[in-house]
Amino acid sequence: MNENYRERLDNILRAVQKPGRYCGGEYGQVLKDKNAVKARFAFCFPDTYEIGMSNLGIRILYGVLNREDDIWCERAYAPWTDMEEMMIKYDVPLTAQESGDPLAEFDIIGFTLQYEMCYTNVLNMIKLAGLPLRSEDRTDDMPIIIGGGPCSYNAEPVADFFDCFSIGEGEDALVEFTKLYIKMKEEGTYSRSAFLHEAAKTVGGIYVPSLYDVTYNEDGTIKAYTPIYDDIPKRITKRIMKDMDKSYFPDKVVMPYIETVQDRIMLEVYRGCIRGCRFCQAGIIYRPVREKTPEVLCKQAKCLYENTGYDEISLSSLSISDYTQIEELTTKLLQWTDKKNVSLSLPSLRVDSFTKELMDKIATVRSSSLTFAPEAGTQRLRDVINKNVFEDDLMRAVNVAFDAGKTQVKLYFMNGLPTETNEDLEGIAKLATSVVDEYYHNPNHKKGKSPQVTISVACFVPKPFTAFQWEPQDTVDTLNEKLDYLGTCVTDRKVRYTHHEPHTSHIEAILARGDRRLGKALEIACEEGFHFDAWDEHFNYEKWISVIKKAGLDPAFYSNRRREYDEIFPWDIIDCGVSKEFLIREHKNALAGKTTPSCREKCSACGANKLGGERSCCPQK
Amino acid sequence: MLPAKMISDANPQPIRIKFRKVGMLRYISHLDLQRTFAKVLVRSGIPAWYTQGFNPHAKMVFALPLSIGTQSECEYLDIRLREHMTCNEIKYRLNCVLTDELSVIDVYEPEQKFADIGYARYDIEIITDGASEELAEKVRKLFETRPLMMFKHTKSGEKEIDIAPLIKSMEVFYSAEKDSLNISAVLSAVAENYLSPEMLITAMKDSLGILSTDIMREHYTIFRTAVYLSDGETEFK
Repeated sequence: MNENYRERLDNILRAVQKPGRYCGGEYGQVLKDKNAVKARFAFCFPDTYEIGMSNLGIRILYGVLNREDDIWCERAYAPWTDMEEMMIKYDVPLTAQESGDPLAEFDIIGFTLQYEMCYTNVLNMIKLAGLPLRSEDRTDDMPIIIGGGPCSYNAEPVADFFDCFSIGEGEDALVEFTKLYIKMKEEGTYSRSAFLHEAAKTVGGIYVPSLYDVTYNEDGTIKAYTPIYDDIPKRITKRIMKDMDKSYFPDKVVMPYIETVQDRIMLEVYRGCIRGCRFCQAGIIYRPVREKTPEVLCKQAKCLYENTGYDEISLSSLSISDYTQIEELTTKLLQWTDKKNVSLSLPSLRVDSFTKELMDKIATVRSSSLTFAPEAGTQRLRDVINKNVFEDDLMRAVNVAFDAGKTQVKLYFMNGLPTETNEDLEGIAKLATSVVDEYYHNPNHKKGKSPQVTISVACFVPKPFTAFQWEPQDTVDTLNEKLDYLGTCVTDRKVRYTHHEPHTSHIEAILARGDRRLGKALEIACEEGFHFDAWDEHFNYEKWISVIKKAGLDPAFYSNRRREYDEIFPWDIIDCGVSKEFLIREHKNALAGKTTPSCREKCSACGANKLGGERSCCPQK
Repeated sequence: MLPAKMISDANPQPIRIKFRKVGMLRYISHLDLQRTFAKVLVRSGIPAWYTQGFNPHAKMVFALPLSIGTQSECEYLDIRLREHMTCNEIKYRLNCVLTDELSVIDVYEPEQKFADIGYARYDIEIITDGASEELAEKVRKLFETRPLMMFKHTKSGEKEIDIAPLIKSMEVFYSAEKDSLNISAVLSAVAENYLSPEMLITAMKDSLGILSTDIMREHYTIFRTAVYLSDGETEFK
């Protein structure tokens, strides 16, 4: 590698769009002496800087790792296509934001896997770092590559490219992992294989795919996962932080100069979700619910405000209105935020807990639009997916909004859900029209203004660790027919209809429940220059289907096949706390149209309480 | 400064902050810089005066926005204080929450108005094919052309203007050591007659064909080094 890459990198920045993505130098970044630390960790986000800087997980883990004197954690993002072209043209490797040093010089490279469509960016970043894609081709002097985040719960499609994965919450695991690396380097016992074996054996939550042999049945399903050593776990149990009040939370943020997606304080209120919507993976894999107390949250928020200067605090959680002390928290925060002109925002609202009191306290009041997610058009289907909201809840919620002078409501739905019929699709259009009618019936609605109701429809993608993990996805043709049919049902001119592309959802479904054999397809995709597949302008469905076929695989096997309860899944190697028995019960309940109460109403024995956790609503073992 | 007791929301104290924006931060736009300073003021804990409107925000006025890619040792930001704080304290607090590439040089009570600004000095270094004493001479000749007509983007579209009167002075020399052309120019910085140093680059590209190849071989840097009053000599304070 040419030593002068640094000067060339400087020159490149003169010619790319948005150089602010790459120039670094942010306030709050951590700089250390590279000769004084024992391990250098490059935390990579496989998408643009603007998206990566908005990720709360990285903010936390960056702080946790840099709290250790002997570890220096830096950041790296996927260069946009113009930057990538320049890097290739001028032989500039992928570098870390803080030091500007090439990733290949690091001890450990970590990738957070937030969505399946970023896999091609992961491979592309490994390639741009000048490293061999496959774990087996990397030598002892090259960095260890570790993955984490929600997709690591079934990372089998990318298993060949990673040395290991950290399953679950990484605050403790990543530090233990890096410390083990330092120890073995110091003792002189380090080799990639010795280290990975030791990590699998001694660091909880570390999954090393190469230490498990996979065999397949004739029909292509999995026969067995066999550990190649006796002293490593047969299944990898995810890690959790037991007490969120005591768990590390950053008191400062690396401050981007350019505008990012979440350019605000993100205050994590609690982990997990009490709801158990049957399509939702996050609602299962982040269990059990563990809350922070309002006192701790207020202290963290104040400290972050003083150290960042942000004027907005987003209360972040899967379903914020389910926080048991939301009243106390918002009241306590408003005592000082109001005076400082700091506003509160809530990213997610459930219609059944949306009240005037809550709306008055949050910043979204300023915008004229509110968003709710009924997810399905009829009560029957909402019962199937266990959404547990009723039309009345929605009508009450929109009236609160209309009372306050709002005119725009956005409603999120899914199509292609299991058991869906035309009636359910018609229900989506009817529900939207009812909201429009409700506006005119509301005596307080803004006079002389007409309402606008937007329905936004996403295609259902069955995910691992959900009650629908056995379900086939509708084919692209069926999804398109359904979307078209819904289009014909929307006749009200006050209703605007938008929907996602079924093509992307199809590839997402293949990767979400994919196995290791898909690694071949991803490798070909990388050779063919795939990148930024989460971006419509770079996604090419035909090319995706073609690389999957080139790898000798059948896309429908992964996406459109109904699975049996006794099938061994690629993700069965992971124990997320929630048992398969529970998911089978939930699947059966779904097909019977039976709902399951939230964790707070009644424990449904999902199994996650075996992991422990303070201030959860689980019965403790 | 006003006596500490007299400073209040109703009677705020104007303060000028002179800062540098150098190194990689030359790639940060003016808009992003404004957003950054709004947060910097909060972080610093300086008692900045807030506008009293529907959406209160710290009152900030910047002199001479810098274009992306240009570095500067003389940027100016005016704020107001709603409570007394010494200039030294303000400078110290700001630098605690800034970085070397964006840092405060001086804090003082303004002596002049932004409207009194007449000129700014720029140091330009050009790495280009054929850099030589002869090329330096050609550049000198080019900028002696009268009139020197150039197209300028304005609100009402492209307009052809004579930039010659907007150049107060210019020194051009060839550095054998760096094999570069170096220009030090004093250009008009009056709002309606602002001459961007990029315009000089464009003129040289158009007339002399420099900077026409690859960015690795040919490139330039611009540094704003001083801001003057209308005499083009007295430093703006």
